[in-house]
Amino acid sequence: MKRIFTWLLKLDRRWIFLFVLFSVATPIVFPIGLPVTTTDSTRRAFEYLESLKPGDTIWLSFDYGPSSAPENDPMAEAVMRQCFLKHVKVVVLALYPLGGLGLANTAVAKVTAEFPGLRYGEDYVNLGYKDGAAAVMRRLGEDIAGAFPTDVNGTPLSRIPMMRGVHDIRNVKLVFTAATGVIGEWWITQVHSQIGTPVVIGPTAVSAPKYYAYLNAGQLVGMLSGMKGAAEYERLLRDTYPQMARFYKSTRTFTATKGMDGQTVIHTVMIAFIILGNLAFLVTRETGRPEAAA
Amino acid sequence: MNFDFGRVALVLVLAVVPIIGIALGMRAPALRSRIPILIGIFAGLIPIFSLYIPKQFLSGPTGMSPRLDQWLIILAGFALLLGIVNVVQNNSRKISRREKGWFFAAVLLIGLLVTSAFGIWGWWTKMGIGFMPDGSPTPFKWVEDRFFQPLQSTIFSLLAFFMASAAFRAFRARNTEATILLIAAGLVMAGRVPLLEFLAAPFPPLHPSASAASQFLGGLAERIMDIPNGAAQSGIIIGAALGAASMAIRVILGIERGYLGLGQGE
Amino acid sequence: MTGRGKRRAGTAPVFPARRRGAAARPAPKLPLLLLLAAALASGFPAAAFAIAPEISPPAPPPIEPPTSFTALDRPGDTGGAVLLTWKDPPTLPDGAAIEILRSEPPAYEWSSLALVKPGAGKYEDATAADGKLYRYEIRVQAPVDAATGAARVSPPVVSDSVSARDNWFRTGRENSLIASILFVAIVLISIAWARSGHEIFIRRISGLNAVDEAIGRATELGKKVFFIPGIQSMDDIQTIASIAILGFVARSTARYGTDLDVPNKDPITFVSAREAVRGAYLAEGRPDLFREEMVNYVTYDQFAYTAAVSARMVREKPAAIFLIGYFFAESLILAETGQSTGAIQIAGQADPTQLPFFVATCDYVLIGEELYAASAYLSREPVLLGSTRGQDIAKGILILLGLAGVALASFGNTWLSSVMKTQ
Repeated sequence: MKRIFTWLLKLDRRWIFLFVLFSVATPIVFPIGLPVTTTDSTRRAFEYLESLKPGDTIWLSFDYGPSSAPENDPMAEAVMRQCFLKHVKVVVLALYPLGGLGLANTAVAKVTAEFPGLRYGEDYVNLGYKDGAAAVMRRLGEDIAGAFPTDVNGTPLSRIPMMRGVHDIRNVKLVFTAATGVIGEWWITQVHSQIGTPVVIGPTAVSAPKYYAYLNAGQLVGMLSGMKGAAEYERLLRDTYPQMARFYKSTRTFTATKGMDGQTVIHTVMIAFIILGNLAFLVTRETGRPEAAA
Repeated sequence: MNFDFGRVALVLVLAVVPIIGIALGMRAPALRSRIPILIGIFAGLIPIFSLYIPKQFLSGPTGMSPRLDQWLIILAGFALLLGIVNVVQNNSRKISRREKGWFFAAVLLIGLLVTSAFGIWGWWTKMGIGFMPDGSPTPFKWVEDRFFQPLQSTIFSLLAFFMASAAFRAFRARNTEATILLIAAGLVMAGRVPLLEFLAAPFPPLHPSASAASQFLGGLAERIMDIPNGAAQSGIIIGAALGAASMAIRVILGIERGYLGLGQGE
Repeated sequence: MTGRGKRRAGTAPVFPARRRGAAARPAPKLPLLLLLAAALASGFPAAAFAIAPEISPPAPPPIEPPTSFTALDRPGDTGGAVLLTWKDPPTLPDGAAIEILRSEPPAYEWSSLALVKPGAGKYEDATAADGKLYRYEIRVQAPVDAATGAARVSPPVVSDSVSARDNWFRTGRENSLIASILFVAIVLISIAWARSGHEIFIRRISGLNAVDEAIGRATELGKKVFFIPGIQSMDDIQTIASIAILGFVARSTARYGTDLDVPNKDPITFVSAREAVRGAYLAEGRPDLFREEMVNYVTYDQFAYTAAVSARMVREKPAAIFLIGYFFAESLILAETGQSTGAIQIAGQADPTQLPFFVATCDYVLIGEELYAASAYLSREPVLLGSTRGQDIAKGILILLGLAGVALASFGNTWLSSVMKTQ
């Protein structure tokens, strides 16, 4: 037994990588369809958006790049779908320098195609990308047109019907930021703290623990933590609007709900690794390298 | 005549003074450290004053504070040029000396040149770096979609593999604190996914119990994230913010000079 | 001329001629009298024979105007806005709204600005130009009266002339300003106290104690020291702290003659890092050991940078790796790769997001403000130690305020939490 655990401790990490690869790939090829339960932070975000009235305007900021698209794309799309169902107007923008605008354009094209009655400039608008995220946010508190004189197509904001009543970020009911890195935190510190506009954040799972501090302090209305948060939002959307279920059934498109199958398997594998590693450690009592000290 | 005080002050301090400083520094080396510190003091105080003083020349749309942000973007552009020159120099040297791995240096330079050429073509022809009028991607966009995005996603996905190997190697119950960390990590990992439903999937009679237990675990995981994690994060954020404020005061007052390559006595 | 009985030849008589000699017979009066008697006896309403008087619908009650109307420059802003406040009248018709109009003297041509729902009590005109005089008028506008079809409007209330301007202080931030001044004062007093020769205790930070150990190990093995200063630019305070630590590390590598490699993701950080390393080698009197390629720029993309640095670690197998600065998702990839090469790793980040990965993979970790205390700890300069002490005093005050706030809030008193709220 000790020999097995000693072998386990000395196992080349590439075998672990291979095991992980099969664990993640198998549920993608053979979907399991595991259920998704919702958490309070996601429900709060959903209910706040549900409380908005037709004609209200929200700000949807694509603050992530291709690397975190599997986590952030589903949440941005789900929020857009909910807004269009409720006839809430959506202002789309991107503040992430590398790839944010491309992802925004793709998501807008995909979701607006699902709602044929939508009109650009009246129901939604795409302001494009602007450099200097924090500086842009400060400027939004004074004058949106100063930060974004035109939309992504070069049309002046004064000629876009839905932007006529939106002078600064105070005229907006909510900022939803699908974020990676520090940009999401800037929406809280620069916009909510200084101007008061409510913020919902959709961070990557690795950044989510930090935002619980802001959630508890009331500086966030709600939060969608990583792919799990996106899957919870998709579930809430399907439960409230059954007609949306058809967009989440297709086997061709990726959704967070489908991604949860893979995430469940890999979590199970990692917990198994941790248990095995500790059993091996206890049995062999090998100390190996110096401790990680704080 | 309207006197744009903010713009004039910025040009004076961020352009004229450094030029004078460089000129004076060639004659008097002691001044070489003084001028950057003075500029640092000025640049550091503007955003602080802007936080409290909403005067147009300071905080307005064309005031000193937003203009300073624009200066930073312009400076970054020039610094990027320096960076690119450095990349080209280093990799060219590697190729010319046939150092180990020189082939990859050549691949890097070819990639840099080709992508730059596509970008410049987009600007020259006014096609940009997005889509062409007929809906097809520009060459730059093609490179972005076929190379950049998949490569970025690939490197990011390496995290899953490294996380698994780190979990296997490093999460050991060596002492009490490590054991508590281990248990909390295990509960959160199990609570964030329908793990019990997954394990009970082949056993239908266990489904209701698994679902109930999964709900409980999920609630427990959320409470761990909400209460102990939230409290610890708040503490670290507040402490780090105070540390950052103290460091910022040191930089603005010119006490901290390590980042300028100067010792305390210089 | 035709007269009565006379007619022009060829025309019909207008009036029938009285027969000659016939006496005019009197009108028959008896049937008329009988008819009148019958009508009176039947009790036919007299009104049937009278003309009905005109009856107008009752006038709607007059609408009271709003009271206490003031128009002032919006306080604590960068200008361009006027704040209007008023009190709604006690009784308002259903569906009424407050109409706001504006004019620019002396023209007095009123233009409608907005219709505000009752209960708001205030309106911000964010379209006012600075320095221009305006007058505002408000009135209650009720829905059109159904009976008369007339618009119902209260008498207008007009304000004095007002102009928008920028102000000298942003209202709502008084508590923040006081706290900032107090904090700066505490830090400056602590620095002065340290300068006067007092000994300042700073607790042991094992990560910083290990810096010399790590560089010594690299020197013994004849391998490189890698210093990765995070991926943010110099506008982030963690990067400034990182470059300050790089200065100390570079001094040590200059002293021992150890090779140093500093790959950079941000161009401005690259320039600062190069100056810091050059200055350190100069200060140690070893400018001959400094090479430009020691500090190099890799790429601006996060994961391309990660791939390049990871590959460099695997190829060159450094003996010591410093991961100090602001990292994001690449932290685990870099740290795990470094761990696989067998290097001793010292990491440091103030932001808590990536700390768990560093703790799991690195030998020593600087957590939170330990990163900012590093320059004070390594140099032992009284001035820097003094500022660290000042920051700790401020933290102590915050802890006490936090405990006091929790205690008060537990008894339902939220005064302290409302005082600490900032805008």
